[in-house]
Amino acid sequence: MRVPLLLAPLLAPLALGLGLLAGSLPARAAGLVYVLNSGEATIQVLDADSQAEKSRIRVLREVHHLALTPDGKTLLVGDSGANEMLFINPGTGELLKREPLSNPYHMGFSPDGRFLVITSLRRDQVDVYNWDGKALTLATRFDLPDMPSHLAYSPDGKVVYVTLQGNGLVVAISLETMQPLWKTEVGPEPAGIIWQDGKLLVGVMGSDHVAVLNPETQAVERRITVGRGAHALFPSPKGDVLYVTSRVDSRITLLDPRSLDIVRVLDVPGGPDCISFDPQGRLWVTLRWKGRIALVDPQKGVLETRRVGRSPHGILYSAAAPAEPLTN
Amino acid sequence: MIGALQDSWNSLNGWIFETLVQPALYSLGLMEWAEDAFDWIDFALFGLVQVLVVYAICRPLEAWRPVEPRTDGRSIRTDILYTLLTRLGLLPLLAFVLFASMESRLSGLVASSGWVPPTLETLFPALRDAPLLALAVYIVVLDFGEYWHHRFQHRFDWWWALHSIHHAQRQMTFWTDDRNHILDDMLGAVWFGGLALLIGVPPGQFPLVVVVLRVAEAFSHANIRLSFGRVGERLLVSPRFHRLHHSRFGSARLGKNYAVLLPVWDWIFGTADFRRDLFPATGDRRLPEELASGGWLRQQWAGLRQLGLALVRRA
Repeated sequence: MRVPLLLAPLLAPLALGLGLLAGSLPARAAGLVYVLNSGEATIQVLDADSQAEKSRIRVLREVHHLALTPDGKTLLVGDSGANEMLFINPGTGELLKREPLSNPYHMGFSPDGRFLVITSLRRDQVDVYNWDGKALTLATRFDLPDMPSHLAYSPDGKVVYVTLQGNGLVVAISLETMQPLWKTEVGPEPAGIIWQDGKLLVGVMGSDHVAVLNPETQAVERRITVGRGAHALFPSPKGDVLYVTSRVDSRITLLDPRSLDIVRVLDVPGGPDCISFDPQGRLWVTLRWKGRIALVDPQKGVLETRRVGRSPHGILYSAAAPAEPLTN
Repeated sequence: MIGALQDSWNSLNGWIFETLVQPALYSLGLMEWAEDAFDWIDFALFGLVQVLVVYAICRPLEAWRPVEPRTDGRSIRTDILYTLLTRLGLLPLLAFVLFASMESRLSGLVASSGWVPPTLETLFPALRDAPLLALAVYIVVLDFGEYWHHRFQHRFDWWWALHSIHHAQRQMTFWTDDRNHILDDMLGAVWFGGLALLIGVPPGQFPLVVVVLRVAEAFSHANIRLSFGRVGERLLVSPRFHRLHHSRFGSARLGKNYAVLLPVWDWIFGTADFRRDLFPATGDRRLPEELASGGWLRQQWAGLRQLGLALVRRA
């Protein structure tokens, strides 16, 4: 839905904060956009150019997050309630197979591509799977209360860090010894986590900030106020901006990746959650509470939304040949 | 058209969540429950729609062909209060909070055993590509569960002590469906929710299943002189069929016509009474007067007292 001109005065305060103004659509974008509708058990496959729905993959229960295999040839989508992993051709949207797998919520491949770590928010467990390029085999399962949410790796792939939403902790797990290394408090209900220049950045959902955690000392060195319900963090493909979603204040905050200073704030109504980027630098954003996705072009000043399914969560823009491992 | 309706529904749901619920959760430090609360709003809105749909269907029919005149407005108002408490989400919310942590512990234990639980669709792959058929199967299975839940409410003295509140109503209308002791409702939620989890009802379909069963239940309590005919009476529970359950022919331990949606369960287990000419008076006269004519609080207290007495007698 293009923002109607009649609503422009109402949206002007938003636009001022963000530099977004209703306008014409930017250039064509080849590729597919995958939207995981967690509340209605479907994956929508959209044409990125026209935003028209190309196909819809029916799932059994709740799809939340996804990951591309290291070679970029397969898209994994976890159906947590159904205990299933779906394998999809990201270039065509074809469902390749389904495999039974215990409660997959958030997931990500290690930088060396050997492991897939999966969190189970409901089950209070974290699973480490071996990946041989074709199949997943469970290596180790950790009981980690309370509500393991998102994960990030150290660049050398030796450690995986998991946020525990229910008790405000981040836990570090060695992938060499398969043992937990440490736990530390970061703030209420931590969600998204990424590695950035030797630090861990954690979206503290029960508060309004990103915690900057030093994994060496396990101390929170800084708190960057971004908006209530700070949720997930996404580095831009070029690495020149960090985007942080805040679900209560409904905004996306842009951080300078070196200084971590706020450079811009985009008001995006509807509870922005996950983000994926297309080659034009536009943001495809799921709006959890509105059953919509937003397409945001910070450069050209365009914000438009499109109806999708109920409670959209994970999202992926997939070009013809995805370049590197990513999670969402 | 359907898309626009869905969009409006999502917008309303989202507006309530973002304006009222999420800020409260944030202030209370409960943001880890945000997604569940979002689902609950959907459930409560669905409850509101159920009440409106049931009212729109049943009230005109009750006015058109009543079995008996509406003379006891006070007890009907009490039943309305029961309905609003139940259907607008308060009790389902309590049940959900109970289930969420229980289910997490249970599924963690199951996963640790190395076993991945199947769903109905993985057991019967044909259902995977036929969601409407799957929905129908879920409804049949849950309706079967509700039949036995109802049998046990009458079978065990301590459970009957609670359930008798439901059978004390002498002015039965479509509002009477939710006239239950709060403990009885919670037991019912555990029973129903537990079975739903066991067979893996998809979260998206759960409200639909609840709506179908609840609309059927409300309709079956309506004060309507209506029978579905010789064949229809054996296919779906009618107001006549269930009225007999609330009369001297069907109440208490030797009850008849327990089914909620499908009379076939009564047929199979020998508890059916298909006499189509009977529209008897309702309300078990052997029960204490306060259960029939007391207000909500008084009935709840009386139910608790009855439960205590039943447990003491059993000990």
